Amino acid sequence: MKSMMLQIIAVLTINIKSLPQRFWMSTSTIGAVALVVAVLLGFLAMANGFQKTISGTGSQDTAIVLREGSQAELNSVISRPDQRIIEEAPGVARQNGAPVASGELYVVVDGVKKASQTEANLPLRGVGPMGLNVREGFKITKGRMFASGSNEVVAGAALLREFSGFELGRTVRFGTSEWKVVGVFEANGSIFESELWADLPVVQSLFNRGSAVQVMRLGLSGQNTLEDMKSYLLEDQNLDLDIYTEQDYFAEQASQTTNFIQYLGWPLGVAMALGALAGALNTMYSSVASRASEIATLRAIGFSGFSAFVGTLAEALVLSAMGAVLGVLIAWAFFDGISTSTLGASFTQVVFTFELSLDVIVQALILALAIGLIGGILPAVRAARQNVAAAFQTAE
Amino acid sequence: MTIFGFVRKNMFRKKLRAILMLAATFIAFLIFGVLMAFFNAFNSGTENAAADRMVVVNKINFTQTMPFAYFNRVKAIEGVELAGHANWFGGYYQDPKNQIPVFAVSPEEYLDLYPEWIIEDEVRDAFLSDRTALLIGADLALRLGIEVGTQIPMFSNIYSHKDGGNSWSFNVVGLIEGRDKDTPTANVIFHYDYFNETITFGQDNIGWMVVRTASPDLNDVVAERIDTQFANSQAETKTSSEKAFNKAFIAQLGNITLIVGLVVGAAFLTILMIVGNTMVMSIRERTKEIGVLKTLGFSSPRILRMVLAESLLLSFVGGLLGMGVATLIVAVMSVLLQGFIPGMAVGADVFLQALGIMFILGLITGLPPALTAMRLPIVKALSRG
Repeated sequence: MKSMMLQIIAVLTINIKSLPQRFWMSTSTIGAVALVVAVLLGFLAMANGFQKTISGTGSQDTAIVLREGSQAELNSVISRPDQRIIEEAPGVARQNGAPVASGELYVVVDGVKKASQTEANLPLRGVGPMGLNVREGFKITKGRMFASGSNEVVAGAALLREFSGFELGRTVRFGTSEWKVVGVFEANGSIFESELWADLPVVQSLFNRGSAVQVMRLGLSGQNTLEDMKSYLLEDQNLDLDIYTEQDYFAEQASQTTNFIQYLGWPLGVAMALGALAGALNTMYSSVASRASEIATLRAIGFSGFSAFVGTLAEALVLSAMGAVLGVLIAWAFFDGISTSTLGASFTQVVFTFELSLDVIVQALILALAIGLIGGILPAVRAARQNVAAAFQTAE
Repeated sequence: MTIFGFVRKNMFRKKLRAILMLAATFIAFLIFGVLMAFFNAFNSGTENAAADRMVVVNKINFTQTMPFAYFNRVKAIEGVELAGHANWFGGYYQDPKNQIPVFAVSPEEYLDLYPEWIIEDEVRDAFLSDRTALLIGADLALRLGIEVGTQIPMFSNIYSHKDGGNSWSFNVVGLIEGRDKDTPTANVIFHYDYFNETITFGQDNIGWMVVRTASPDLNDVVAERIDTQFANSQAETKTSSEKAFNKAFIAQLGNITLIVGLVVGAAFLTILMIVGNTMVMSIRERTKEIGVLKTLGFSSPRILRMVLAESLLLSFVGGLLGMGVATLIVAVMSVLLQGFIPGMAVGADVFLQALGIMFILGLITGLPPALTAMRLPIVKALSRG
């Protein structure tokens, strides 16, 4: 057993030390694996970053109420009488006797996407005084909050990163009304940072929405109160509503786009991996061929076929591991932290950053090592089965 | 033996190696073909846009509505040949997740505005004479299993019906067929009047207008006239060509051009490295043979051409196989994704691009070893290996 280990270590050392002799072939394999890993990581980091932004938004302690079947805040409508009933539902938390219920309006306005200089859908959210009580981590980082009753807006920090038209101090025009941007806010990196916020009654009147809102957020008074709230509100024949925890709502919103990116990224990654595999097999077969006399010599002095097998396989794994590391570095240098935006499920732009995570990197590493493993095993079998006498004859 | 036979024999002298090289090239072109088909389908809205069609939307954003009265005012504007209007219904069929593009439109004008929709005369008459009639794109009808002649409920995720609920009943009177293969037919249209009389809020508003000008040269002037007409009104407008409007919408999804470019670039760079290196190696192994050929009187340019022919052959065989399989895959996907991404196909332009890339790839991978082989002095070649 011990001698076997020593044999393997000796062969391994020879193989790895002789890598520079096959410099260009080895480099092309490393490069091919690196590109596979970088491409796959690009897609996975995109999906991961998008999901984090959206699902990081939802709170477990907040319920979100929409009109039945509306699927997104943009489509929903809730009339004033219905709002009253919803506020009084069981399970709604209270603060100083008043229900923690935030009726909100969600309208779409144009901004200019900096990257393409084309118009893009940005959400303008009308929020009332309770708006901040159903959200955590909201803070004004520049300027000040909008004054209630005035045509003032505050802009999310992420929105300002990707879009122009709403810089602090600027006056914007929606229809016949002029609005002033008076502040910039952050909200724990959540999707709300991709929004513009203004006072609810002002948005209602200037966008001709009367007293209707589109969505209601309710603070939950306890752990299991969502069920009570649901059974009370869904049983009411006069109301047609959907109720979710905010967390579930945003998880659902994220899934479509995230799945789409992954369904695109994985087949591409695997296809490219097959191309790289062809390269790896080629490199390893040439490596075995060029070392034919060396392997034969080792076999002749008593090394086992198994050590030849392990040596070749290890060489392939080392090459693919080097490629994988290079690929991760490329992805980290070029993709990680890039800010971008896409159209979310609410038909408005969601700003997010590419984000590498350990989980994502592990997935790409597995693909890379699979290339090394499959690309190494067949040539390794050939190395182990090599006929010693024949190898000496052909090696001139 | 012909030169071609000689080149082919050389290429396959190590069968496994040749097959692996072909496989790598095959994969890269497969990725290229499929991605380009996707990419072109995404951009088809821009490619197929009619030059004389313009879109009039609310200046705040195209999701905001404008008063119905604007329609008559736009029709009267000089240079406007034909105008129609539409509202986004927020339609879904059976399951709220099954969202489909349903528009409430001015029926007659709308059909006239889109000559790329082929609708039989009887169907057209049936649609125009029945206020609850609905026309559905052929691709979409196939995907949803909706049959002509039936009555179906269609739900709205925005509006409520004045009789309660959010479902509308429609007579499916016919299909919208595309004039050619890449005309998307995934829409549903019905009468604006039916919509306007049954909704509980937002009456007498229209979502946007589509305008045909007398000539594309007039577009800018007419757009200016329309927008000036409504300047400082409660709903200011923004008029742009259909192409510009579609382009801006696609840009909202993200920089797809960049993503496709990076992936295709990475795929080709991979084979460039793999095949390029292998070619160098395989020519180096043949140094002695090349010396013999030269001794026999083969001229240096001829040697160069022979090596290049080998790398080009490799590139074209692998590339054509890849494009062939890509065409098959896209054909299957276009059926599966009908209604989601309509009009997916590997077009002639993509094929031409692919041929160009095969040629360039063959040259780049073959040129370095070919030049080495050409310059090789006979004495040196014969003394090596």
